[in-house]
Amino acid sequence: MKKKKILLLSLAIAFALFIVLEIIAYVLAWPRRLPEELLPPEKPGRGTSLARVEAENMSLQRKMQALPPKGIHIVIDSGRNILYLKKGTETILQAVVSCGSGSILEEPGGKRKWIFDTPRGEFYVKSKITDPTWVKPDWAFIEEGKDVPKKQQDRLEEGVLGDFALGFGDGYFIHGTLYTRLLGRSVTHGCVRVGDKDLKAVYKAASVGTKVYIY
Amino acid sequence: MLRSLLLAFCIIAACAAEEEPSPLKINRRLKEELSLAKSPELYFVLDLEGKNISLRSKGMVLQQWTIESVHSWGQQPALEALTVIKKSALFAPKRKKITPGEAEQQGDKFELDALELKDMPSSYVFYLDKGIYLYFRAKPKRFLSRVGNIGHFFVWYLWVPLRNLGFEVKKKPFTAIEVKLGGKEDAQAIYWSFSEGTKGLFFYP
Repeated sequence: MKKKKILLLSLAIAFALFIVLEIIAYVLAWPRRLPEELLPPEKPGRGTSLARVEAENMSLQRKMQALPPKGIHIVIDSGRNILYLKKGTETILQAVVSCGSGSILEEPGGKRKWIFDTPRGEFYVKSKITDPTWVKPDWAFIEEGKDVPKKQQDRLEEGVLGDFALGFGDGYFIHGTLYTRLLGRSVTHGCVRVGDKDLKAVYKAASVGTKVYIY
Repeated sequence: MLRSLLLAFCIIAACAAEEEPSPLKINRRLKEELSLAKSPELYFVLDLEGKNISLRSKGMVLQQWTIESVHSWGQQPALEALTVIKKSALFAPKRKKITPGEAEQQGDKFELDALELKDMPSSYVFYLDKGIYLYFRAKPKRFLSRVGNIGHFFVWYLWVPLRNLGFEVKKKPFTAIEVKLGGKEDAQAIYWSFSEGTKGLFFYP
């Protein structure tokens, strides 16, 4: 009985301490605005007029507005596997594509490792190719469990990249595919696969230098 | 009596009306965003005033998600570029390791197992620099997610303030912001789209 009382008392004290601690924590954690010295001053200081600030704002807004492309550009949503061909803010074409699978391939022996993500950021079309030939990289042979060939000719594979390809750097391309049933799925090794009809439209509209945005 | 009530109502309405940001605040926001927009990297803007979060490049909104509600603990972050250092989730998606030769051996039986949007978590934390923790969660719709919500309630209202206390004792900065999104898909899309290293800005009212 005495032990029970001691236990209950201990629990009550612990609970009370916890409540006190929470109250202190709440007071200290209560949302608060930045201290005055870090906020921009509400009124312009000496030598700065509101008109000058507003003029600077207009100049900054013009600089911001000059940054996005006004002409044709490509936006790729790698999560939903959708490609948008845009002109300014207008969407000209929306295509279902396939982007990187995010899988990892390690070379037996642990020397090299590849992560098959489609890169994100701002790029631009660096090359345009018709009837592209795939020059199989080392990972393609390793993935198949085959030896990496020594001769360049043994790496060439025709007809797997579709009718057109647009390169945007580091070996990544927007190209066609034989696996049209997999469009909409994240199945590639990083490149962006597009169906034939949509690829033709993208190829015709884009030129070397066309911006490509991937997220 | 009616006149007094009407006057009181107008005063309250005027007080409640949203204030336009000051030119100086706009100036600071534009300068910070311009410095991010000039690089080829994607960046985000968490607009707590407009209640949305957007992924941008070169000043152009690539994707935008609506925020249902926002709660915070600690000091408001400064208006400066912040970096996502780490993403953390209870059920973080795992990348599949390809076994060399597996596809060839299985032939038609081979099933693709890729990391896709549906594999992304809908409740997670982004750790940013300057001691900022960004908690994302989706509005619960199903019974299990509502149960999970109870757990989050205890974390947010009991554990996070205590964590702040710990940081205060160590004299380190700490800010926790909870962002509630409309749906699971939005939360998953944000987890997918924001990489570690992505920079962004917070626009406070």
